[in-house]
Amino acid sequence: MKSTLRKHLTAALSRWCTIAVVAGFSVGVQAQPAGIAAEAKQLLKASTDFLMSQQHFSADTRNTLEIVLKSGQKIEFNHTARQSVQRPNKLRAERTGDLVNQVFIYDGKSLTLYNPQENVYSQVAAPDTLDGMLDFARTKLDIVAPAGDIIAEKAYEILMDEVTDGFVVGKAVIEGVRCDHLAFRAPHVDLQIWIQEGEQPLPRRFVITTRDVVNAPQFAVTVTRWNLEPTFDAQAFGFTPPAGATKVDFLPR
Amino acid sequence: MERIKIVKALGVATALPMLYLADVAPEASLGLILVPEAHAIVGAPLTPLSVAGVARRTTVRAASAAANTAATSQQQAATAQQQQATAQQQAATAQQQAATAQQQQAAAARPAGAPAVGTVVNALPAGCAPATRSGVEYQNCGGVYYRAAFQGNNLVYVVQ
Repeated sequence: MKSTLRKHLTAALSRWCTIAVVAGFSVGVQAQPAGIAAEAKQLLKASTDFLMSQQHFSADTRNTLEIVLKSGQKIEFNHTARQSVQRPNKLRAERTGDLVNQVFIYDGKSLTLYNPQENVYSQVAAPDTLDGMLDFARTKLDIVAPAGDIIAEKAYEILMDEVTDGFVVGKAVIEGVRCDHLAFRAPHVDLQIWIQEGEQPLPRRFVITTRDVVNAPQFAVTVTRWNLEPTFDAQAFGFTPPAGATKVDFLPR
Repeated sequence: MERIKIVKALGVATALPMLYLADVAPEASLGLILVPEAHAIVGAPLTPLSVAGVARRTTVRAASAAANTAATSQQQAATAQQQQATAQQQAATAQQQAATAQQQQAAAARPAGAPAVGTVVNALPAGCAPATRSGVEYQNCGGVYYRAAFQGNNLVYVVQ
């Protein structure tokens, strides 16, 4: 795609700004061809394949969640997270923020949720593969593993499931890194993904817009740091209950 | 607290397909606790990728499955559903009986106006103190005992 949407927008803006400052104008977004552009698919597939090929990595993210109040006012909540993955079957995710303070640990045998603030944890036996565990957590415990879908073997299928349209918006820079900006549409949600240019096509940012909810709130994840050569210490995927921690059950679904 | 206090929402927000939040009681589906009430949430976005796909799949598949189902299988489904409903009813009755028994057992110790046994809340009322009974940790809130548990990613408290 030589002339991307962004170029059109930029060109249109600069052209219009000089001649039509007074008149209220709207920049018409070019109608995109229906369906998913092959280029968008390729870029996404390259990214999920690349992540699949990485045996261990960690990602630090900054996440924002918008909530819409009855008045229509949007309120934003933030949290940061660090996801550490050791294939084939280890995952640790720590999330810290306004709404959530939780550690998720999977050591290949069991899955632990720990809330440091309340000093409460729960631990259950889990399947011995990442994908098996993600599925188990979701279907049996109603737990979502942070970043679960992008580390799954079926990440591409999961992301593209139900997607009807997609195109490459253009080039972008996220956290100082040059990216390709992709936009997809699925029933109920719009999805934007920014993928690093070059040999390491890492996802750098995601935005999910929920169209059906009034004022279309968004959930956004920005990866502030990818580490493809992490050193995990022996305890990285283990859990030793801190002093005074209370062990609790999972309520049956 | 002046600001809206939302407790432990994210895990739940990620766990549920929340496509029509405006239509449902959002507090219930989000597991949100809002103070003050007047600021109740209307909607939240689908959250991380960790779930967007799942939520989409669940909802849309359910819808398309329903649409595609032929009359025969619909009938079969209806029968199965009926059977399921009957079984559910039986289970519910048993549960009720169990709950009643439990309630009666606890009645002597429970203060008047205490929430029903088995009620799940997202936050403890004020003035709770940790208490251990038979090696199990509870929170004693004015004579009503709560036990912590995870419901999905959310820490909740179950009235004992």
